[in-house]
Amino acid sequence: MGNFFSKDKWKYAFYTVSHPVDAYYEIRHRNRGSVPIAVFLVMLFSFCFSMNRMMASFVVNDIDPRSVDSFTELGGVLLLYFLFCVGNWSITCLMGGEGRLKDIAIAIGYAAIPLILSFVPATLISQVIAADEETFYGLILFIGITWAVIMALIGIMQVHNYTLGKTLLTLVLTFVAVLIIIFIGLLIADLINQVYGFFYSIYTELIFRT
Amino acid sequence: MRINRTKSKHLFALLITIAMMGSLSLEAKAYTLPYDTYNYDYRNDIVFTPAAYIPEKSITATGLNTSGLVDENGEEIQLNAFSNPQDLCVAPDGSVYVADTGNNRIVVLDHTLKKCLNIITSFDHEGTVDTFNAPNGVCVSENNQLYIADTMNKRVVVLELTGDLIKIVENPQSEILEDNFSFAPLKVTVDYADRIYCIAQNVFEGLMVFENTGEFTGYFGTIKVDISLFEKFWRKISTKEQRSRQALFIPTTFTGIDVDSDGFIYASNLDSLNGVQAVRRLNPKGEDVIKKGIKKNVGGDLWIIGNSKYSGPSEMTDVVYRDKGMYSLLDRKRGRVFTYDHEGNLLYIFGGLGTQAGTFKAPVAIEILEDKIIVLDSLRAEILTFSPTEYGNLINDAVALRFDGDETLAEEKWLRVLELDENNELANSGIGKALLTKGDYKNAMKYLKLGMNREYYSIAFKRYRNEMLEGNMNLILSVLLVLIVVYAVVKRRRDKKRGKVKEGGLL
Repeated sequence: MGNFFSKDKWKYAFYTVSHPVDAYYEIRHRNRGSVPIAVFLVMLFSFCFSMNRMMASFVVNDIDPRSVDSFTELGGVLLLYFLFCVGNWSITCLMGGEGRLKDIAIAIGYAAIPLILSFVPATLISQVIAADEETFYGLILFIGITWAVIMALIGIMQVHNYTLGKTLLTLVLTFVAVLIIIFIGLLIADLINQVYGFFYSIYTELIFRT
Repeated sequence: MRINRTKSKHLFALLITIAMMGSLSLEAKAYTLPYDTYNYDYRNDIVFTPAAYIPEKSITATGLNTSGLVDENGEEIQLNAFSNPQDLCVAPDGSVYVADTGNNRIVVLDHTLKKCLNIITSFDHEGTVDTFNAPNGVCVSENNQLYIADTMNKRVVVLELTGDLIKIVENPQSEILEDNFSFAPLKVTVDYADRIYCIAQNVFEGLMVFENTGEFTGYFGTIKVDISLFEKFWRKISTKEQRSRQALFIPTTFTGIDVDSDGFIYASNLDSLNGVQAVRRLNPKGEDVIKKGIKKNVGGDLWIIGNSKYSGPSEMTDVVYRDKGMYSLLDRKRGRVFTYDHEGNLLYIFGGLGTQAGTFKAPVAIEILEDKIIVLDSLRAEILTFSPTEYGNLINDAVALRFDGDETLAEEKWLRVLELDENNELANSGIGKALLTKGDYKNAMKYLKLGMNREYYSIAFKRYRNEMLEGNMNLILSVLLVLIVVYAVVKRRRDKKRGKVKEGGLL
């Protein structure tokens, strides 16, 4: 947790936003990144995302506020983040990627900064726009999301020392890997459930016999 | 003394309890309806509303007063019960015509539905006595002519209200009809120019239109068949033999028709696929010009998923055009009556299937009689009448005012609706629009948001924002100026500390 409070690492996270290519290289090779900060940024993004869904003005927001649960969304975002990191790591390990799990987590986590920086102002701006000015709101979100995608892409490229084509290929494979992980996870959950049921029935049987 | 006092106290309490129980049970009685009344909100959730219409009475043929009616021998007629009646129609003078299909007769009731005015069983056809055979539809035109869809005789009979024959429309001739076409009219309606619009059995091309001369002019308002890409693909890869065994893509048929004063035809149809559109408003060219509202749905119930007998899209069997752009649809699947306004907003829902008084077994036709809604039930062989409550009347009046373009006048009515039904979105947005015209933008925003009216909310918001900006321009500019000065001073100080200030300029 030490480097979570390091001013240097925080500054570097924001330097990553403006200079992704250099910064991600340094993160991989000179340990300039921090996993706790990355996870925190992802959690912060989840919070901003829920906030946007709940608080954005009625003019631009068609979501039923009753359906927004920030804790569920936090769980979902963290789970996706974890699955993506693990999936990407397991694929790139086989495809000659240089990145460690730590680097992947940082690359994706830092890419959440433009998202946070666009969702918050978009939510604020939505409070003062009318229906025909929706474009501004959409534009801010669009810029933020595009930047985040570009950052994540560059991050993965730099961390693994890949070309763009290979990065895209690994991303597709990552998606497949995530699906496989989910499938196996469900399978294991079901299996454990069955085993538990088996022992539980033995237990009840013993209780009733005595 | 003391004991006496407590005793009297107890007695008092008992009396109060009894009185309260009495009033409670009375209240419960007044609100016990045999059906649920509800509506769908902006998020398509069911919200229960007060009843817009409540059952008033049911009319059987045997219960009618037939005094003054005599048959050919001068004896008083005893009216036997309706048998599988299929249609009813309200004439311009308010009398009600019932097509008593099983008894091959038309029964005429007065506007109070208590007295039988006439029973038409036969008419004089060029000197011979002619009768009906299973008349399924009846309609009285604006010119007081009686049109009867005489189904099994394969003709439409046009009579004066006195029973004299005007003309018979039968055996339509046209190139577009098949050679062995058999004309079996089910429902009939007539516009202001005496054109006859007719729903005929096994006709899928639309309504059949006849000129006032009785000449068949063509089909009207054909419903297009939607074939999905998947179905197209499936048909493409199947063999000729398989294709011949597949179900045909046949458009749904119309079930009931009505005409408004401008000559637009309202026709209900069975949308058995997804229940999105169960009624069409056909302009004189036969194009559908109905407005489907914000939900893009005029198909009755929205919650239709499931596999039970009770699930699935509503099956509209009849439509009635009411005053001021409103129309009501009658659903035979769940026995409900849906009322929409001219913009396609669902106003209220009432009715249900069952055996209690005020519920339907097999509803077939719906009409408006003065302020009441009357529904014909073929299995019960009864006419059921529903009278509007205060809630229903308020909505009807407010929607009528909006149709006329004076929604601002409807504000009081909408406010009263809100007292009865707090979450009524139409009422909220109606009040919001009225406030918007008055210039009270802040409250307008509040009501329009509650009414989920995004379009008008945005207008109100824009005006409110301009108002705020104009009113506080001095303050905003002053604050901005102060901020700039503070920034400059702070910057200068900091620079001085670091020892890199340029002499001279402030900034």
